[in-house]
Amino acid sequence: MFRIGIDVGGTFTDFLLLDKTGAATLYKTSTTPHDPAIGLLNGLQEMADAHAVSLQEFVRDVELIVHGTTVATNAVLTGNGMPTGLVTTEGFRDASQMRRGIREAQYNNRYRAPEPLVPRHRRLTVRERINYAGECETPLNTQEVCAAAKQLRDERVMGVALCFMQAHANPAHEQQAAEILRRELPDAYLSVSSELAPQIRFYDRTSTTVLNAYVGPLIERYLTNLSARLGELDFRGVLLIMQSNGGVASPQVTKRVAAGTLLSGPAGGPVAGLAFVEPHERGDCITVDMGGTSFDAALIFDRKPLVVTDGRINGHLLALPMLDIHTIGAGGGSIGWIDSAGLLRMGPASAGAQPGPACYGRGGEKPTCTDADLALGYLDPDFFLGGKLKLYLDKARGAIETHIAQPLGMSVEQAAAGMFSVINNHMAEGIRQVSVRRGYDPRDFPLVVAGGAGPIHAAVLATELEIPLLIVPRASSIFCAAGMLLSDLKHDFVRTYTTPWATLSVKRLEELCAAMESEARATLQVERVPQDKQQMYFSADLRYVGQYHEVSVSFTAQELQKFDPDELTARFHARHDQLYGYAVPGAPMELVTLRLTAVGQTVKPQLPRMPKQPAGSDHAIKGKRRAYLPQSDDYAEIPVYDGDKLVHGNRVKGPALIEQATTTVLVPNEYDVECDALGSFVLSLN
Amino acid sequence: MSAIDPILLSVLRRRFKSITEEMGLTLLRTTRSPILSEARDFVTGLYDAQGNMLEQTEYIPVLAFALQPVCKNIVAYFGDKLYPGDVILHNDVFSGGNQLADVAVFKPIFFENQLVAWAACKGHQADIGGAVAGGYNPQAREVWQEGLRIPPVKLYERGELRQDVWDFVFANIRLPIVQDDIRAEIGGCTIGERRLMQVFERYGIERVREHIDALYDATEKQMRAEIARIPDGTYRGASTVYFDSIREASEMQIVVTVTKAGDEISFDYTGTSAQTPGFVNAPLNTTLSALLLTFLMLVDPDIPHNAGLMRPIHVTVPEGSFLNPRYPAATTFGNTLTGPHSDALFRALADALPQRVTAAWNRVLACNLVGHDPRFGRRYVDILFLSQKGGSGATYGVDGYDHIGLINCAGGILAQDYEMFELQTPNFLRRHEYWRDSAGAGQWDGGLGIYTEMELRGDNNMAIVYGDGVDENARAFGVFGGQPGAANRIEFVLPDGQGVTPRVKDKVENLPKGTVFRQWAGGGGGYGDPRKREQGLVRARMRDGLLSREKAMDVYGIELDGL
Repeated sequence: MFRIGIDVGGTFTDFLLLDKTGAATLYKTSTTPHDPAIGLLNGLQEMADAHAVSLQEFVRDVELIVHGTTVATNAVLTGNGMPTGLVTTEGFRDASQMRRGIREAQYNNRYRAPEPLVPRHRRLTVRERINYAGECETPLNTQEVCAAAKQLRDERVMGVALCFMQAHANPAHEQQAAEILRRELPDAYLSVSSELAPQIRFYDRTSTTVLNAYVGPLIERYLTNLSARLGELDFRGVLLIMQSNGGVASPQVTKRVAAGTLLSGPAGGPVAGLAFVEPHERGDCITVDMGGTSFDAALIFDRKPLVVTDGRINGHLLALPMLDIHTIGAGGGSIGWIDSAGLLRMGPASAGAQPGPACYGRGGEKPTCTDADLALGYLDPDFFLGGKLKLYLDKARGAIETHIAQPLGMSVEQAAAGMFSVINNHMAEGIRQVSVRRGYDPRDFPLVVAGGAGPIHAAVLATELEIPLLIVPRASSIFCAAGMLLSDLKHDFVRTYTTPWATLSVKRLEELCAAMESEARATLQVERVPQDKQQMYFSADLRYVGQYHEVSVSFTAQELQKFDPDELTARFHARHDQLYGYAVPGAPMELVTLRLTAVGQTVKPQLPRMPKQPAGSDHAIKGKRRAYLPQSDDYAEIPVYDGDKLVHGNRVKGPALIEQATTTVLVPNEYDVECDALGSFVLSLN
Repeated sequence: MSAIDPILLSVLRRRFKSITEEMGLTLLRTTRSPILSEARDFVTGLYDAQGNMLEQTEYIPVLAFALQPVCKNIVAYFGDKLYPGDVILHNDVFSGGNQLADVAVFKPIFFENQLVAWAACKGHQADIGGAVAGGYNPQAREVWQEGLRIPPVKLYERGELRQDVWDFVFANIRLPIVQDDIRAEIGGCTIGERRLMQVFERYGIERVREHIDALYDATEKQMRAEIARIPDGTYRGASTVYFDSIREASEMQIVVTVTKAGDEISFDYTGTSAQTPGFVNAPLNTTLSALLLTFLMLVDPDIPHNAGLMRPIHVTVPEGSFLNPRYPAATTFGNTLTGPHSDALFRALADALPQRVTAAWNRVLACNLVGHDPRFGRRYVDILFLSQKGGSGATYGVDGYDHIGLINCAGGILAQDYEMFELQTPNFLRRHEYWRDSAGAGQWDGGLGIYTEMELRGDNNMAIVYGDGVDENARAFGVFGGQPGAANRIEFVLPDGQGVTPRVKDKVENLPKGTVFRQWAGGGGGYGDPRKREQGLVRARMRDGLLSREKAMDVYGIELDGL
């Protein structure tokens, strides 16, 4: 029996195949953007070939496929979704395009707002109105709903968003209209605001509902198609889809909340991080993933990745829980430049894969982060991607000389060191965004480092943040795919219960929590999760009376049994101070929403563990190389180890370089390395 | 050899920015008044020990550039009587403030027992006492009629709350939420303090100081390079402000002479009208802020905002003019003069920077509603940001921005969310949509304005109207052949059907429950000849119902079949 994690990226589709012994094999195919299922099936074919069986025989033996998809993300980023319509309350058709009138770049008069996902002529209105208290002011005009349906049919829309004013307070009109639209437009994908995100704020709800309708038909078609093709191959296992909230869900649930896949790709990372800190008995970490153009950072606290409910994608607000993954434009391809103040800057422009960094010799002339890494001696020009891609040191040095060193009046070495330092500080800033800004001290968290370019930079940026422990998983490029296999089923539920905290009815709270719980258990049952593998995590969104943003305070199912409001009061004040610099103990508070995250534990594959070996690592030494050491600001001859030969228990003292085909780890003076049971390289401050 | 590390400079620049953004997030999340928590009418900043600007996050730039001078005043005022744990409150117009309702909190930051920096937050409070709730009094003739003046005063000393001072201040302010929002500003400063301390811990006082100075120098250099790109010469521009709120049919002129030589630039406002007897006067710092925020749109938008920025810019504003009035003038309308002020600057610089100027932005016509909310038995005050945000002017190659709002905020201010608005005030929205044909036509169109309609459902409603852009000549003008955007208009329809059109500065009392408020916020000016506009864009706008057939044919010269 096999389990497969599949991460469809922009360029490559990564596969992690686990057999029943737990042995892991990696596969990689080119992504096929017009129909990602093709690249995915190509990968399965390769696996079948490797096992000398037919595709059908192989697929029949697969018990689990977990799949991260960028179908939804790409549609929104490129504007290539399906024609979508919006039915909304008369007088309010423009909210999703207005975006509350914000211009993100304040002083830039050339800044353009993102194109609306639904153009105005497909934003149709009907007469109806519910007020703030949920009372009907104007009954729904059903004829106008029918007329809207007809017009949308004529426009051949594939997705329809339905969002009425104040429908969070009373969904009756939306339910009535939804019934008509389902009847009149049976083939369209319908997204209803009161089902999708029953919470106050009209713009947030409209935007979320529109995003869902925009990507819904694509996700529905893609998953239906994929399931059918797997079915033809006699697939008898379970197919799960990675969700933005860091969990997985069945195709049926995913089709309903298609916008829940907008962060499907990177969402595997944080969960993978947990697996790699597990041998160190840690339940928290910060994960970073540095690829060619971007750097993602996320924080996991108490075994749970941080989640936000006001994320943005291409300028459009998404009010669904999604992992708090902070992305900045810093990667191997980030271009170094001098601004008009004479300051050295790195990125966000990237040389991408074409022409790529100057050292690729494909015509790139601008100096990139990879060029600096090469000039500093961290990369071996003859062993990049295991020697598959020859790097040209002279081209790297030339680009740095022309564009950085000469303008700043520095040597090439100094300029390269500066580029290295500036991009490290960008990334350190990215880590502060997910830690310090959320009230967490990064020094308390191990740093798990993924992505091809990450491990060269990680130890130095960890020094900047005084992070004492780093973990670099072997083959860190399949990090997200691994995370997918390790994710649990996860569903989020919300109930609005607005009440002064002082007059909270514990009974009502318990009833609402119980209602969410039964809904949750029903969903998990559909996904065949046994009772004893179901877990419920509750939280309450609290605020001081008069505030308009809440602080989420969690409580367990056990605590719900003997609910103590005072305990939550104390947690709220402490968290408010941690986040915002003050608390007002004694001030009146109010409850706004109750939330439940229901988790269905999946059976997780055991990542293969190595037996412990002696500490000696001389067997892995490949040679020596002259490389730059930031702390002493100087070059030194340092040993280079073959990472593939280092096994559990082996130790390496900094400074050193550890090389594998796709990853190089820079170990500065102040760190020592030990290889752990999963084969990860663990760097500790000495 | 210089001890300056260019790399550390880059690092600090980014770090300071990130800290001010986090302070801003704190305010957004914790404030009570919708003016702050929904519309983001606030700024945050860090300053060095002398009060020089290190970095800011400027959701409303016209407030932002008035923090540095106040910080300097505070440093001079308290001298060596500043201690760790102090918190200082300020709003006074005649010691550097913008407007009394814009109340700032300053917190000195000490490291190793030395004053090393300041953190500050400044936000538009829902009330500041005075004659009219909500802080706008169109009938004011002197500062005391506008609200409570707060020169620098310590709310906390050495970490101890001065309860008597606190009680004194808030005894003079109508709404208790202002206390909460000042607490939130203090929280924002504490976040800034915590984060900046880490910077000093990491790099040490001397090193940070040297690099701050170098950062100012680098920014100055960048600004000089930008100025050097403007052709040398003398440029003049003017614009008219309508009605000073006291003298019927009064008109005031803003006149500016810009002289650019080498890498320096000067702005001389000689010829500008004398100060008015009403509240249509801008304190000097507000005038300087308005100039700076407009000028920053004409240079590289990426320049860091610190004290180095201002060094190559010289400004002369005659004392006693309405852009630099003498004590004790009323000045609450000062921030709102940014619109006509920027008009004069764009006119002056259009020929020098034809590809950088924009056509005029819609001048704001604002309305505050004050009244009693029968649902919760409490007073409500709100600024109708959602209905006032018109369009910005087009620039070379790019249409204006729709529904962006007053240039003072440069797109940083948010319209209230409709559902939050109906929860926070008793009023009932009927319509809030783009206003067809409101954009000034051009090869590049101005931004669209909007139309709003709502029913007043509170009791004892009063509307304070203050703005401009209603007069035909005050429409957002086009440039290089572009046409002006539509004019502003506000109208109240009383339950008996009678219409009331307020003047551009007015107080309209006793609006009964059931009154309908209607506002048309105008569009921005167009750039270039509309007949050169790409036809596909014209047709798309028509299809979207944002352009009439008549205008498409008459103004853009589109030929339409099947009429």
